Amino acid sequence: MNLISILPLLKFKVKEKSMIPLLKPGDEVIVWKLSKLKIRDVAVFRKDKKFYIKRISKIKDDSTSSRFRGASKYFLEGDNEKESIDSRKFGWIERKDIIGKVIYKF
Amino acid sequence: MRIISLISKALPLNIAYAHCDVPCSIYDPSPAQIAASTVLKMVQKINDLPKNNLKVQERNAFVRMVWVKEEHARKCKEEILILWTDYFKPEHLEIFPNLHETFWKAAKLCSKNKQEVNFKAALELVKAVDGIAAIFKKAEKKSSKQ
Repeated sequence: MNLISILPLLKFKVKEKSMIPLLKPGDEVIVWKLSKLKIRDVAVFRKDKKFYIKRISKIKDDSTSSRFRGASKYFLEGDNEKESIDSRKFGWIERKDIIGKVIYKF
Repeated sequence: MRIISLISKALPLNIAYAHCDVPCSIYDPSPAQIAASTVLKMVQKINDLPKNNLKVQERNAFVRMVWVKEEHARKCKEEILILWTDYFKPEHLEIFPNLHETFWKAAKLCSKNKQEVNFKAALELVKAVDGIAAIFKKAEKKSSKQ
């Protein structure tokens, strides 16, 4: 079991520019894993064994999930829309892949 | 604020990518130009230090100058690699056939300037990065006309 899975708070350093002007490359943020997620939250999620940081722009109920009634899917986009590669390219993200919400920026 | 700082120190640092790819006006060769000029300035300042019997303060200054030269050569390389790999696209090769060689040589010069205290190499780096800035400016001008 690694620290990502057991700690409620995590620290991330931002790389690349799709969250400019809010987050610049090199900025560090604290993520709280236990928050309820809502539209406009900036969240960290896992995809293809890497972590990404984007803003939640849409949330939908996942009616295809029979195991978890009311499970949601999240559409995340970069603030710097012209430059960002995000849900517009790789689609909706499941709740289990979202690490948490950014609660503090250094 | 203090509590957050204390907690932060105890937390391991992970990387989160704000992934981006599409070129836009955020690309800018200025940071690379400033970094290259800093490398040149540090080489000049290191060469201006006494060669023998350095006092403690001068030795401290020497170490700081070498560190700044190292850091700005690294930053310069990082900035030009971002322009090379993220901003420039295959279609730019038609307009700038020497694009790859230009960037490759500039990146190599960054490494050379980390390894050496070499005025000629530092000056070449400044010129190489200025050349990249000129190419970037032309590419931007062309894309704004389209």
